[in-house]
Amino acid sequence: MAVAWIGNRETLVERAAAHAAALLGSSRCPVFSLDTDIHGTRAAIALAERVGAAYDHADGAAVSRETALFTDKGAMTVAPGETRRRADVVVIVGELPQIHHEFVGELSDTVPDLSAPDLTGKNQREIFLVGSNGASAPPLSNGRTATLLSCGEASLGATLAALRTQCRGRQTSQPVSNFDDFAKALEAAHFPVFLFSGDATEGLALEMLQGLIADLNRKSRASGLHLPARENGWGSALASTWMAGFPLRTGFARGFPEFDPWRYDVARMIAAGEADLHLRISSSIVQPQKKRNRMALIALAKTQKPVAGAAVTIAIGEAGVDHEAVVYSSRTGSLRSIDARAASELPSAATVIRLVASHVSAEAALPC
Amino acid sequence: MLTKIAGGDIIDPVNGRLGKGDLWIRDDKIVAAPAGGAADRTIDAAGCVVMAGAIDIHSHIGGGNVNTARLLLPEQHAAHQARPATTPLSNAGWSTFQTGCLYAKMGFTTVVEPAMSPGAALHTHLELADIPIIDKATLAILGNDDFLLSMIRDDASSQMIEDYVAWTVASTRALGVKVINAGAAAAFKENVRTFSLDDVVPSYGVSSRKIVKTLQAAVDSLGVPHPLHVHCNNLGSPGSADTAAATIAAAEGLPMHLAHLQFYGYGTEGKRRFSSAAARLAELVNATPEVTIDIGQVMFGQTVTVSSDVMRQFSARGSASPKKSVIHDGDGNGGGIVPYSYGKDFYGAMQWAIGLELFLLINDPWRVFFTTDHPNGAPFTVYPALFELLMSREARTEMIAGLPKSAMALSTLAAIDREYTFEEIAIMTRAAPAKLLGLTDRGHLGAGAIADIAVYRRDGNIAKMLGQAAYVFKDGDLVVQDGEITHYRWGKALRLNPSPDKAMVRRLEDYHQQRYGLSLDWFNFPDSAIAREQPFGEVACRT
Repeated sequence: MAVAWIGNRETLVERAAAHAAALLGSSRCPVFSLDTDIHGTRAAIALAERVGAAYDHADGAAVSRETALFTDKGAMTVAPGETRRRADVVVIVGELPQIHHEFVGELSDTVPDLSAPDLTGKNQREIFLVGSNGASAPPLSNGRTATLLSCGEASLGATLAALRTQCRGRQTSQPVSNFDDFAKALEAAHFPVFLFSGDATEGLALEMLQGLIADLNRKSRASGLHLPARENGWGSALASTWMAGFPLRTGFARGFPEFDPWRYDVARMIAAGEADLHLRISSSIVQPQKKRNRMALIALAKTQKPVAGAAVTIAIGEAGVDHEAVVYSSRTGSLRSIDARAASELPSAATVIRLVASHVSAEAALPC
Repeated sequence: MLTKIAGGDIIDPVNGRLGKGDLWIRDDKIVAAPAGGAADRTIDAAGCVVMAGAIDIHSHIGGGNVNTARLLLPEQHAAHQARPATTPLSNAGWSTFQTGCLYAKMGFTTVVEPAMSPGAALHTHLELADIPIIDKATLAILGNDDFLLSMIRDDASSQMIEDYVAWTVASTRALGVKVINAGAAAAFKENVRTFSLDDVVPSYGVSSRKIVKTLQAAVDSLGVPHPLHVHCNNLGSPGSADTAAATIAAAEGLPMHLAHLQFYGYGTEGKRRFSSAAARLAELVNATPEVTIDIGQVMFGQTVTVSSDVMRQFSARGSASPKKSVIHDGDGNGGGIVPYSYGKDFYGAMQWAIGLELFLLINDPWRVFFTTDHPNGAPFTVYPALFELLMSREARTEMIAGLPKSAMALSTLAAIDREYTFEEIAIMTRAAPAKLLGLTDRGHLGAGAIADIAVYRRDGNIAKMLGQAAYVFKDGDLVVQDGEITHYRWGKALRLNPSPDKAMVRRLEDYHQQRYGLSLDWFNFPDSAIAREQPFGEVACRT
């Protein structure tokens, strides 16, 4: 099976890597899009430093919103395990990505066993959903439905603001639906937990949610469970933070890391024509992207054919399928080692990136 | 390769070697002077002080909370210069790479991250593995986790508790055990806001004292070389000296290490009800030989407090500067990140003075350890300036002159004459940490020790001298020359490896399945997950 191509021509991986390195070496403004495991991220960041590239997650906007919550505001958060064991009231904030629906179902199917829970005789957690009219929660067990907290068609941020205001005992122009039920549940709760993601939630809404959680903690306990929009994205953000000191949307254009969530928004750099080379790392099958003048594409992807329009394509395996890996797990809230489910000879992203890097001239070996 | 470090002033308290002489290295070990041997390489150490590589026993250099602090404060650690070609990412502000380089430049060759959440062990070790040059180690946090608290509540046998501690240490690749405000994080989840040594965790009916004593006994019984590392209750509170005194008394003949004692050196005298209790605590430490302490010295300037004492960090949120923080309720302790700036005001000056008083009033350099609790009291990069304050009364006097007299009036610091000698520095930062951690292969310059060696060119300016080593060898490899890193190498994470009891593993598997809905496999990891050759070095338990 061919695993590397220069243009549409099959070639040896070694040659494709050398060609990719040559393109990177001659690039004026290379950018990397990551959708990979921890070691793929580490290798990519080491390469980015060497070639002066900027890097971001492949779906950078959602990860960037979550990152901004921490860089700009801070947060109160809780571990998923504690949520399962302690949350007697669960509040789903906006739309949660599909990958978290199973955990929400699990929460609706279990009861907390810590903090002497008083489940008011219902023997189940109270579950609410904050969102506009028509918003839907992930499927709950036994056909249960979440109680909707909404202000009609108001945005999530506005609804959270109204909720926060009413929780402080003040009036709002448009009351939140079912607020009395919510207030009653909070009154009885030992440890309410708000489930949030940056996937479809704007930054100001995330901040408003944290304001609400902070208010509740003046007299009782509450916290937020961060369910990342993209698990690989949050994993890459963590690895970038320890390696470069900064999260994603960091660039090495001047030889040292600079974090700038606007300037190094890789999608923006590509759209604006700033980037002249795009290294895209994704073990999933990538869709062809619109051809842009002057911008070459190097695609590392799980593919059996060259990616359309790519100057170089190198096939890589999928983390946890073709090879063992370390990934972020939203189920544990930390990094996790996973075995290969169907080990294959496809190389990992990290292996291929290191091979490319070995063809880029430098005085010292890459640090990872 | 045979290397001769020639004509330096050798300071090796362990082997009683003090004075001018040569030191020989063969490959990665220190060796006796070979008979008639010709060195392949000779380092001229004339005019230099030669010591073993320094060991930092308590510095938050990696793991979930440290990384969250980086995430919270991108504005505080920007890189500022082009990267050196031979040391990738070493100028990335507060990165793992910069951490290893900055420590090595000062002659430190082993550093302990003292607070690893067991559930985040893989994350912690991945960060430690990306710290170049130095060896690392980490302590696993216990004492707020449901499994342990339930066992204590249910009067589990000491053997069962030891089995659990052994499993935790082994599975997390830890070098020891730390307890942080025992029981407080669990109580905080139940809305308790203050917690002292004899307070009880509501759902368990277990006191903080009971948790500390249980873990202290288990650690000792298992032969873990490092005594239980205790972060006491009431950190930072006026009157916390009472808590520290009660905890010291609770050692009761068994070894115990108290972390960052400075943060408990606070009395309640004066109109602000905040004063130095350092002299009292120093006296207690001097009289309690089973107790060791590290200081957690405060130095002035911006820093960030990073702690798994989530209750304390929650209460400190209001003092955040800049105004943002992260509070995390974890499976055990969780943690809090609160940025803070130590100003030269009454309170900052008081904290600064209390740390120095403790350093200078505790008599035995084998039982007091050099830390700033990085980054809580100050970043470790202030170490050179701190050495100068310890070794020069004149430097202290100069600093005191610029501080509020109201603070200095409540401290004995100005009246203390003591100046640390190089021999005492070598004990406090080399020999004693190695002994405390059970690392017999380092901390001294005797034949057979690993060749972790720091060579400092004598200078009247102590901070300059100890801030930029002339030469540093790590495992015999010359990694620093004239204060600059020459190249990377990859150290190990030092760990204990007690055999886990099979029945305990089965019990934990059931527990995780029932309580978390997950197999234990979700939390375990193979060494290969670290993706470095030989990421771990094994240290033996006491027999």
